[in-house]
Amino acid sequence: MRPAASDSRPPPRPPRSLAPAVLVMGKGGVGKTTVAAALATLEAETHGMAALVEFGDGESGKRALGRSHRGVEHVVITAAEAIQRGATPLFGSATVAKLALGNFAMRPLLRAAPAIRELAMLESVRQVVAARPGVRVVVDMPATGHAVAWLRTARQGREFLGSGPMFELCDRVARELVAPGCASIVVVTLPEALVLEETLELCESIARDPGLEVARVVVNRVPLPLSREALVDARALAATEGALARPAAALVALLEAREAASAGAAEALEVFARGPHAIWRVPLAPVDPSARDVARWLRAEGAA
Amino acid sequence: MKDPLVIVCAGGGGVGKTTTSAALALALAARGHQTLIVTIDPARRLAGAMGVPVTDEVTLVPLAAAKGRLSALMPDPRRSMRAFIDYLFADEPEAKARVLSNKLYIGLADAAAGVHELVAMNLVARAATDGDFDVVVIDTAPSRHAIDFVTYPARLAALLGGRSVSWLAGLAQRSGGAAPAPRGLLSWGTGHVEHLLARVTGPNLVRDTADLFGDLALVRERFVSLTRRASELLLGERVAYALVAAPTAAARDDVIFLAARLEKLGRRPRAIVLNRADTRPAPWVSALRAGRGVAPSITDVLDALEEERSTRSSAADGLAAHLHAKLPWASIVRLPYVEASAPEVIVAALSTELDAHLAALLPEAR
Repeated sequence: MRPAASDSRPPPRPPRSLAPAVLVMGKGGVGKTTVAAALATLEAETHGMAALVEFGDGESGKRALGRSHRGVEHVVITAAEAIQRGATPLFGSATVAKLALGNFAMRPLLRAAPAIRELAMLESVRQVVAARPGVRVVVDMPATGHAVAWLRTARQGREFLGSGPMFELCDRVARELVAPGCASIVVVTLPEALVLEETLELCESIARDPGLEVARVVVNRVPLPLSREALVDARALAATEGALARPAAALVALLEAREAASAGAAEALEVFARGPHAIWRVPLAPVDPSARDVARWLRAEGAA
Repeated sequence: MKDPLVIVCAGGGGVGKTTTSAALALALAARGHQTLIVTIDPARRLAGAMGVPVTDEVTLVPLAAAKGRLSALMPDPRRSMRAFIDYLFADEPEAKARVLSNKLYIGLADAAAGVHELVAMNLVARAATDGDFDVVVIDTAPSRHAIDFVTYPARLAALLGGRSVSWLAGLAQRSGGAAPAPRGLLSWGTGHVEHLLARVTGPNLVRDTADLFGDLALVRERFVSLTRRASELLLGERVAYALVAAPTAAARDDVIFLAARLEKLGRRPRAIVLNRADTRPAPWVSALRAGRGVAPSITDVLDALEEERSTRSSAADGLAAHLHAKLPWASIVRLPYVEASAPEVIVAALSTELDAHLAALLPEAR
């Protein structure tokens, strides 16, 4: 595996330390799960223990962590369990909660109303963090649009409900999880113009509502530029009349695409370096890297 | 006139699904089909490259040379909730005004999954009726749950049509009252739930929920017809599913998951398209490697590229074998890794590759 690139970059500012909960966000397919698993691995290597929270079936976190993940506790939260757990104190007892949730009218309502599930999942995360003092909890959040909506449900619910036990639940999530000092946001992005643009929008949007600062930006799959000399030579060959001109032109196109992606990453570094977040880069590998590989690259970027 | 054939492309994020769908549509148009490409989650860069605006209108894609015609439909997800309400409440202006100012609606408008897909399918249905298309390629959202919206409307319709709505609609009046007399645990029923719900959520949520569902119940029929049309288009006889993947463990698991999901809906994927799954070096790489007097800098780069390619290829071999064992009925189409900056260059290259596989991807003629 190749080491992380170390070409010219702005002088690193001392990154603010991460909060107890680390919420990893980014659009689908950028490698969010692997980065989240890598952050948990790194944390466990440095401090002995960490937790990785995943929503759903738990398969992707398990896969990303791989076989050796000493010190990382893998916590899987499913919607049904989260709703049950969140509803128990609201209804006073697990039995009453179960009966109420299983009621003919409640069941379809719960399935159709998305905000309830999201709130319940966040409440579960809050409980996971509260039950593990001193242990950093890395959360593999859903893809971008969804994740932002999740983070807003607590505050929206609080404003909307005004009072009552569910209001109190929203209030607790808003004060103890979705708040500066309680949760840090790590955004994963790719060195492509459009994805970077969306990432900048995401950072601004999170800063506006729910008012969380993006602590770190991980630029994933940064291609290392292939040699400049080869590009010059391939361009010269492409300009000839010979049989190799067309193949050489294809090589030029490929080398230019890589160069553009590297330049895009460099540009991202500049744009993000003006903000308050630290930037970590992870190089492009021909196939999936493991969480441990990514953890090693993140360490080289100053992540631990 | 026959309904068009439909190819639904589904897959996880980051596997090149949108690009593959566009390439497939281009290959079909080049072969003489009157083709429509529908992108549920438009990548603006690709839309820009194809010269297609992100709107609810069907737009003709300018092609240099093709026997057929390529049109595109890329509806804007940010406007679909409003479009949905406009459609449902076309004949109920007063109810519509109430819904649009309902706090619950305002809070949920962004989070309501499946609505955009439903609105998009409504546009597809209209285009399929008006548009004289042979083939429609539908690029779903990049998610394991991209096809769940097929069942989502049915769930909502069940909610609107079932006892829940009348119960909910009456809830606001009743929940202010006292708790009903206890009737024992076995007869634990609706009265308790109402009382508890009001106690837990406070009066605002109950009132706004009741109002919203009361108004939605008014337009149940329009809603159900919308659902029916979406299901016909996606689960009908003339539909084939193509699952798109790349040689990563996440993409592999997404394909298995989606195939199981489809199976539940009574469907099987007709084909699996593997991106970044070259089987041999690109012809231009071989030509350069065999060429005489090629600069050493180029030879070095070619060696590095070939090493990357062989790593990718063996990962793809493993994936193809795994998927074939799990889903033996699906054809596997392997596409090469095309590295270029301009999306239209990638689309064009992949469409040339796909030309040889169209029969494996199209629904079987009936």
